[in-house]
Amino acid sequence: MNPAPERAAMTESSLTVAVIDPSQARAAILEEGLRAAGIGRIVVLPDTADLQERVSALKPDVVVIHLESPSRDILEQMSGVSRHAGRPVAMFVDRSDTTMMEAAVDAGISAYVVDGLRPERIKSIIDIAILRFNAFARLQRELSEARGELADRKLIERAKGILMNLKGLSEDEAYRQLRRKAMNEKRKIADIARAIVTTADLLG
Amino acid sequence: MRLQIGYVPLCDAAPVILAQELGYAREEGLDLDLSAEPSWATLRDRLALGHLDGAHMLAPLALASALGLSGPPSDLAIGLPLSLNGNAITLSNALSAAVAGEDGFGADWRGVARAFARVATARRQAGKPVTLGIVHPFSCHTYQVRLFAQAGGLDPAALRTVVVPPQHGVEALSRGLVDGFCAGAPWNEVAMAAGVGRVVALGAEIAPDAPEKVFAVSGRIGEAGVPLVRAVARAGLWCADPDHRDELVHRLGRRAHRDRELGLVARAFEGKGVDGTGRALGHLHLGEAAQARAPERLDWLLREMRAAGQIDADPAQEAAARALYRPFA
Repeated sequence: MNPAPERAAMTESSLTVAVIDPSQARAAILEEGLRAAGIGRIVVLPDTADLQERVSALKPDVVVIHLESPSRDILEQMSGVSRHAGRPVAMFVDRSDTTMMEAAVDAGISAYVVDGLRPERIKSIIDIAILRFNAFARLQRELSEARGELADRKLIERAKGILMNLKGLSEDEAYRQLRRKAMNEKRKIADIARAIVTTADLLG
Repeated sequence: MRLQIGYVPLCDAAPVILAQELGYAREEGLDLDLSAEPSWATLRDRLALGHLDGAHMLAPLALASALGLSGPPSDLAIGLPLSLNGNAITLSNALSAAVAGEDGFGADWRGVARAFARVATARRQAGKPVTLGIVHPFSCHTYQVRLFAQAGGLDPAALRTVVVPPQHGVEALSRGLVDGFCAGAPWNEVAMAAGVGRVVALGAEIAPDAPEKVFAVSGRIGEAGVPLVRAVARAGLWCADPDHRDELVHRLGRRAHRDRELGLVARAFEGKGVDGTGRALGHLHLGEAAQARAPERLDWLLREMRAAGQIDADPAQEAAARALYRPFA
């Protein structure tokens, strides 16, 4: 007789989570992560002027909103700063758990929850969001590095071609000259290549 | 020393931006990395958690953050008051027409407030309360909307207030999501230029010389706060000199508002009358008038925060608030 896990699963499936993110791709990645974790209903809301109406209509248990969203201040109001007015949504900041808060903010997350939701249930959602957002940031970084490398390689190819034409060098020799110049000047080969290409463009 | 400084792109962020651009920070041995923050909440959190070392901030929000009433625990201090006034209440075309009635707006804002109260009371009785936008709960905008209602004899609770990020202001007004909003420069000018609303009252009329924005400094940077505040204060004086207005508008336009709004930014500083009542829009004060050590402005803030139910009458809390105010002065 051990009904606890089943009951836990049932409660997760009863949660409604709203996701607000200026980046649609990132919102989709979080949505998928929350679905995989068994969250019952995940709704991605557009970051538009009518957000307040949409959130009020949806009545989510948790709102996960990216720090870049200008709509965060809307949630601040809805979460109610007036302690005399019993508002339905309370801001999530478990003040005792600063490590988690910092991890969340580093990953770009803020969240608002319905008052009374158990902290451990919020924590699992935040953990998923941290993982997903960090993975997204890593992917973006890798993508931009890959783009940068590709651009550098193209630049070096062009610079080699210019040297080969101008000085009648072989491809290997042209590359060696580029590398030597870079080492002597303590710069990257791509920087030397860019200088050559720019000069050639100007003079050609 | 390299410092991270946040601001929200508004006219009153000028001293913070100019402290770096005019080289005043560098003369103090500081290099400021300026970042435009997407919302007040994010600026507050990043300052509290140490991602920012200093920030242009709504005065009540700085107090709320330091007193543990808003966002993560923080150890900020109010290094310098930056600005006074600059806010205005803009109403939609439909509501401002209803408020103006057949006689139009008079020269006295209190008359406008009374007319507004009559319309708002009728709307409430009809089950459609007037909805006004503010920028954040902890803002002078919140208190100015409350005081505007009260001046007309209306209980502020009869209004519905929602947050409208200023960049959504025009859309929110034109789609009827709100009936008006209270915002800082240049957003009232932007709404009027877009033809979606009309300024009916100025923050400076409702609550003269309300302490609008402050420069908040993180306790983490310790004594570096002193030269940092000195650089920002010097930039504030520069900004207040009318001879510098063109350059100020140009630099601010580039940093905070893109060039399409340059004319509107300029208008905010000139305080030209554009609301058709003969009353001047603007009254945004930077520099000496704003930066003076004026504890009565802090008292005003605490009083309004209490009236709005944001803090209790608690002498210990008020003493804590006083200790946060201008520790480097």
